[in-house]
Formats: sequence, C-alpha cells, structure tokens
Amino acid sequence: MAAEFDLLMRGHVRPLYRYAYRWTGDVDQAEDLVQETLTRLYSDVPRLREIERVRPWAARVMYRIFLDWLRRTRRSPVVYVGRSGSTGECFDDEDEQAEAPADTWNPEDLTERAFEMERVTAAWARLHEQHRVVLSLHEIEGYSLDEVAHIIEVPVGTAKSRLNRARNRLRELLNEGTNPPAPTCNSPETQ
Amino acid sequence: MVDVNKLRESLSAMPVPEPRPGFVDRVLANAKHDIRRPFNWWAAGLGALAATIACVALLWKPAPAPEPSIRLALNESRDVPLVIDSERALDDATIRLYVTGSVELAGYEQQHEIEWKTSLTAGANLLSLPVVGRAPGDGLVIAEIEHQGHTRRLSLALHVTAPGDDSA
Repeated sequence: MAAEFDLLMRGHVRPLYRYAYRWTGDVDQAEDLVQETLTRLYSDVPRLREIERVRPWAARVMYRIFLDWLRRTRRSPVVYVGRSGSTGECFDDEDEQAEAPADTWNPEDLTERAFEMERVTAAWARLHEQHRVVLSLHEIEGYSLDEVAHIIEVPVGTAKSRLNRARNRLRELLNEGTNPPAPTCNSPETQ
Repeated sequence: MVDVNKLRESLSAMPVPEPRPGFVDRVLANAKHDIRRPFNWWAAGLGALAATIACVALLWKPAPAPEPSIRLALNESRDVPLVIDSERALDDATIRLYVTGSVELAGYEQQHEIEWKTSLTAGANLLSLPVVGRAPGDGLVIAEIEHQGHTRRLSLALHVTAPGDDSA
C-alpha cells in the first residue's frame, strides 16, 4: 500500500504545495497543510484508487483542513505571525509556461512588469483567505467553475458569486494605491 | 481599470518559494508512518529571545514573580510579542492566558482567563498579545500551552507606571 500511495501521490505533492502556499502565504503553514492532507489521504488509499482525477480530490481534502485551521485561529484572541516564505526561485513546474527570453522585452516592459508584480503580490496578501482559494484555483490553476465548486464543496452558483467577489476585491485592492501595508498572517485589519 | 488577461498573467507569475529540501520525500514518508513525534519542549527551547521579547519559563514549583521586563504607561495599549518555538507542527494545542494585576488584554477586559485551541507551526510562533495598562503597578500574563498531556508555561511580567512616575 505504501508503494501504491507513493505512485498515486508523488506527482501531486508539489502542485498541492503551490496551492497551499497561495492560500496561506506562509511556507511552514503550506508544508504542514500538505502534510496533513497526505496523512489523511493515506488512510483512504482504497478510495484514492477509484478516483479518476486525484489532484482536485486531494485539493478538496486540503481545503477542508484549511477551513478547519481558519475556524480555529479565528477564535484566537491573539495574532499569529508565522514564518513567511523567502523570495526564492519560482517553482520549476512542468505545467507552468516558460517566460519569454529576456532579449524580446524592452526595459520599460520589465520595469512595468516588476511594478505590477509588486502591486499584485501585495494585494494578494491582503485578500481574505477564501478569496485567495477561489482565485488561485480558477484564475491560476485553471479549474473550471464546476471543479472549483466541487473542491470547496459549495453549489456552482455560490462558487461563481464568490469568485466574482474575489475578483472585485482584488481589483479594489489594486486600485487602492501603489503601497498597501504589508500584512502578517491572520493579522486583524488595523483601523 | 485592470486588464483581466494581464492580471491573470501577473497572478500566475507570483513567485512561490521553494519548500524545505527533501519536502516531497519527507511528507510522503510521514504520511505513511503517521509520524507524531512527542513534542519535546526542552529541545524546542524558547526560540529567539531578542531584547524586545521577554519570556520567562515558570517551573512547576512555585517561584517568586519575575522582575518586570516590560513597562507600560497607564492606559497605554501595546502589542507585546511572545515566542513559542516548536520543533514540529502541532494540531489541537490548547493555549490559556492568565492575566492578573495591573494589565488586561484589549477586547477581553475583566477577563482573567482566556482559552482557545489552535495549531502551532514548526519553528517560531509569534503571538502578539494586545496588552493594556489599566492601573499603576505590576501585572502578569501567564501563557500556558498544552498538547497531548504536556504543558509548558511562560510568564510575562509587566509594570504599569503612574502618570509622572519616571522610574525606569
């Protein structure tokens, strides 16, 4: 069973980590979330064998765990500040498109791109976790609305409206200014 | 107006930091063995105790109150950092805060005991305690962390200065 689990899951661990990092914004939390997900899935290998697409299934399990975490930490009267990820190299993932070679960009494009990336990253960090989840699943990972709804276990209509709210909120944050405050994990809104 | 395609491109290009070395092998191995090492408080230690973080461990035996390490003015609110260093991620840890003397926690006025369940990540968990100085004199915040029958207490001694009191 151990070898079978390895075969079933090895190719999904890094993508799951990627999802987890985008949801939590923290390397430690992302690793722990993936760990807990795999531990849970291991206890259900017979069921895993039957599933046609393992990754969305695993993402669903991971989302449930993530929701539990959110509920528990929300009750805390104090703020947790976990270790945030270093800005190391991007994932080397075969699903991601390679960037265009540098000599096809002009310097203005690069500056604009870096500026835009900073704004987007800062806005992302300020999003509510549930907005991050739907945006990362649909806009980044390319899951359909039906699939997103299945992963987060809500009706398709609810997933659609949550996605719209998430997009609107992200646009608001992007339009708010160029220097939004850098948040910490789970920090309450200040003033 | 934000261009949707550009936004998608930017979102997709957001960097994702590498996990720690050996992550894939480790999580797969741990899942199979369901490793739940007992939390070793003594090995974990208290983490980085910078001058700004006052964190004194209380032993089981009654001990004299520690010297106040944080001074607040009357009615001053301050977020006081407290580090809990954990060797491993812990689910379902219980944290209790006991607040006595001249201080309170903002939002929990007149509550001397607060308890909640939480998860701790491996490494430094920084709790930010929203302390308020309510009366001149000494105050104490004790944080008790419990997990699977193991308990550790940390105490934070504070002193609230009265107006016009310049004693350091």
